Amino acid sequence: MSKELIRLAGCTMAFDDEVVLDKINLSIQDKEFLTLLGPSGCGKTTTLRIIGGFQTPTSGDVLFDGVRINAVPPHKRTINTVFQKYALFPHLNVYENIAFGLRIPKTNAQGNKVKLPEEEIDHRVLEMLEIVNLRGFEKRRTAQLSGGQQQRVAIARALVNRPKVLLLDEPLGALDLKLRKDMQNELKRIQKAMEITFVYVTHDQEEALAMSDTVVVMDAGRIQQIGSPEDIYNEPRNAFVADFIGESNIIDGIMRADGVVEIFNRRFQCLDGGFAPDEAVDVVIRPEDVDIVPEDQGQLRGTVTSVTFKGMQYDIIVDFYGFKWLIQTTDLSPVGSRIGIKIDPDGIHVMKKSEYSGMFGDYSSYSEEYEEISDAGCVSEEESGDEE
Amino acid sequence: MKRNSRLGSRLCIGLMFLFLYAPILLLIIFSFNAGDSSAVWKGFSLHWYGQLFRNRLIMESVYTTLLVSLLATAIATVAGTFAAIGLYSLGRRRREALLTVNNIPMMNADIVTGVSLCLFFVAFFQGWGTFARWFNSVQSAVELPDRLVLGFGTLLLAHVTFNIPYVILNVAPKLRQMDRNLMDAAQDLGCTWMQAFWKVMLPEIKPGIVSGALIAFTMSIDDFIISYFTAGSASSTLAMTIYGMTKKRVTPEVNAISTLLFLSVLVLLVLSNVKEVRQEARERLGAARKLTALERARQKFAEPQYLWARRGLAGALACVFIVSVGFLSYATGSRPVVNVCSWGEYIDEELITQFEEATGIRVNYQTAESNEALYSLLKSGGADYDVIVPSDYMIGRLIAEDMLEPLDYGQIPNFSLIDDRFKNLSYDPENRYTVPYTWGTLGIIYNTAVVEEEITSWRALYDDKYAGNVLLINNSRDAIGEALFCLGYSVNTTDEAEIREAFALVADANRRGIFQGRVMDEIFLKMEGGNAAIATYYAGDYLSMVDNQAEGVDLAFVIPEEGSNWFVDAMCMLKDAPHQREAHMWINFIASTEANLANMDYIWYASPNREALERYPAYYEELYGEELDPEVYEIMAAPPETLERCEAYRNLPTETLNLYKNLWTHLGAD
Repeated sequence: MSKELIRLAGCTMAFDDEVVLDKINLSIQDKEFLTLLGPSGCGKTTTLRIIGGFQTPTSGDVLFDGVRINAVPPHKRTINTVFQKYALFPHLNVYENIAFGLRIPKTNAQGNKVKLPEEEIDHRVLEMLEIVNLRGFEKRRTAQLSGGQQQRVAIARALVNRPKVLLLDEPLGALDLKLRKDMQNELKRIQKAMEITFVYVTHDQEEALAMSDTVVVMDAGRIQQIGSPEDIYNEPRNAFVADFIGESNIIDGIMRADGVVEIFNRRFQCLDGGFAPDEAVDVVIRPEDVDIVPEDQGQLRGTVTSVTFKGMQYDIIVDFYGFKWLIQTTDLSPVGSRIGIKIDPDGIHVMKKSEYSGMFGDYSSYSEEYEEISDAGCVSEEESGDEE
Repeated sequence: MKRNSRLGSRLCIGLMFLFLYAPILLLIIFSFNAGDSSAVWKGFSLHWYGQLFRNRLIMESVYTTLLVSLLATAIATVAGTFAAIGLYSLGRRRREALLTVNNIPMMNADIVTGVSLCLFFVAFFQGWGTFARWFNSVQSAVELPDRLVLGFGTLLLAHVTFNIPYVILNVAPKLRQMDRNLMDAAQDLGCTWMQAFWKVMLPEIKPGIVSGALIAFTMSIDDFIISYFTAGSASSTLAMTIYGMTKKRVTPEVNAISTLLFLSVLVLLVLSNVKEVRQEARERLGAARKLTALERARQKFAEPQYLWARRGLAGALACVFIVSVGFLSYATGSRPVVNVCSWGEYIDEELITQFEEATGIRVNYQTAESNEALYSLLKSGGADYDVIVPSDYMIGRLIAEDMLEPLDYGQIPNFSLIDDRFKNLSYDPENRYTVPYTWGTLGIIYNTAVVEEEITSWRALYDDKYAGNVLLINNSRDAIGEALFCLGYSVNTTDEAEIREAFALVADANRRGIFQGRVMDEIFLKMEGGNAAIATYYAGDYLSMVDNQAEGVDLAFVIPEEGSNWFVDAMCMLKDAPHQREAHMWINFIASTEANLANMDYIWYASPNREALERYPAYYEELYGEELDPEVYEIMAAPPETLERCEAYRNLPTETLNLYKNLWTHLGAD
């Protein structure tokens, strides 16, 4: 699980002076499920296309098993791709779509072109149909399949070539929520069964957290953080990551000493250290880490300005000295009521100031922002970093 | 009310379709006419279709047209398809800009495309000539041809040029519809770009390619203007040939070939539409629909085990193609050739065959539409004729501008057969350049069923009695010339006052509404059908009108007492003609008594060959078993005393020509 398979070293991609990828360094291990996560235009699809060989980086190296493959065309890489909207061949039926890669003559060790025998093709196609649960659909035309079925054909078509790496570009973007959840499990199962590396591109943070071994958070052509889903969620490196993964209240603070951070002129215990004395920092407090207490017992006191019922919990917005927080609670506090809050030391995460400071984590315009977040799951815009 | 409006709109639609299709319907009907008029129905017959297939000029141009269209379509389809693919790999902004540029040639007037291509080719040939002469002078291993001319090659290039945009226009939408990731996906699965193109892109954009090719083919078949400027002297497409044939009269032969052309374009159109509709239906229904037997066969044929059959078929088609191209180059390349440019319907084509069989020289027989058109074609340097047959005044001009080569009369023994009356004429006083081809007179043609008196004077043309019944010839030299005769002046006068006076006569009559219209070719239809009473035209054409006149029409011909124009058309050789030996042989052959008899019988213009002129009545009697009406003969070949009264046109000085032009453009404008 720890052998390095692919390495991007200082990869930069520029289209007409517009830098889409800025000196990316990334190491992908054998048999891991790695997710490139980020908003539209962050460079995640471009990264994937560089690995697939559809684009050559303007500068930097792409290494596969330690060999530089910058100039190796896609058809010579042992990497296959599941494309956005599947890119199934409309003029071929399900069977022929899957058999497509097998029917291309391959060059063997002696330099001769050889074709796979028809029986082997048949055997491998049927095997793949089994794996993706599509037995009996061989003769269907692709246009007659549902989105989920097309998805499976696309996966089978890529996997039948027995690649070492499977690249998936927002493969679930066009599916509805229920189907998406099923397919997440399905993909995870297939990855385990085939024992190959998956590089997965998505802008859906929940999907990324649920499926990945490693998550790579990207924005503006740069990698913001690499880590396990838990690391990414619990220890975001900057305000962008904190905001993009889950809900976060991000407040300006001052680090008074190791384990002591000052917010709104009040000192809080925390677990972080290693900052300069009196360094200005960003403090992340997740909405579920806040306990509501009677006003007089609270470390901070504020007024409830809005309440939304979410089923499992209430999302309430509380105004603390003009700064609005999102708090998730199971107890109802009506609008207008005064409350106090308490935060445990492990509920506080302190980050260094970054270019993203002050841009996120304020819920003053909560309702609009919420709309945006819930929309993001359905919109699957092509990344602007694409060819155009 | 509602019912009425529906009736009204139906009537509108009906009328619209009538206007659209009635002319074509009429054309189709008249292609089956037994007689040779386009105005009078004389019974059903397939005669003209048979005639069509025996007409070598038409058959040759059909062959040229098909070959040029097929080749141009094939080349343009490949080039256009790859151009469209190339466009789609560019950024959006550049792509849109280039697509707009691509649309310009299609919107562009054909005439602009044609003229500019012609200019381009001629300029290129000049540059090439300079280069080739230099190249040949510095080395002797390879001899480059230093004289390139417009011909099949340039015609093909021109067709390819104007076809490519249509292919791009049809392929581009299919590329736009195609998922961009398809090509990536195919390459991802192990294809090289070329394999991906064949296996994935081609099936996707095939409908666009097919419809693009069909449109390109139709455009190629259809094109006249661009071909006209780029074909040069050696090739003539069908449209060009038809145009040449209609210059004098629309023969039912033209109706027949037009009918066939219309039907074949119709079939192509229907084919491409049906294909589209069927495809839409298939997409709607999906594969749930049962396949027709044909489709099943086609699917089976597409299976891998039939690869050999598909390859074999493609190979066979390629062979046919190569053989036909080879045949053409053999036919044009290996035999001696003479390029002749004459007028439409101006030779008994049997003569061409006879000459070819007797000498083994291939005759490339082309037609021009008028002396002026021929002149500008020659001036542009685009033509490569050896022999031309211009009229007297134009010969004077060509000699003055040093565009003709003196003839070697030693090689033309038959020149001695030409009557002395037609030698040493004003346009070639020492007779160094010309051998007369035909001669004739201009006169008044009138319908005696309407005009009761006998016309003897040009004044009849301007007489209020016949207001609205007179056709004015649409040619400044003839129209003003008639007035000059009427006033007793010379047709070759350069006196501005006399010319203005003559013009005033015409313009005044025009104001008074004497003239029904200004016409050239329509004279045939109008006079034959009795739609006009008086017109002026040439004697030979009068005879063919009489042959076709409708019932109740009785045409007569007169050379007015004031005198008239008589003309000579003569064969000349162009300066530096490439096939001078062959040109002399052709001229000598045409000057023979037999050839002159055949031509005289075919075109009804008088022969300059003394013997032929004398023997024609006997020849006619032998051929048709009846005596030639002496009156007809007299009209055909005006007797010397009539000819005394007549005057030939001479080349006028530039300022006089400009005066003619200015006056003529102002006719009817005041």
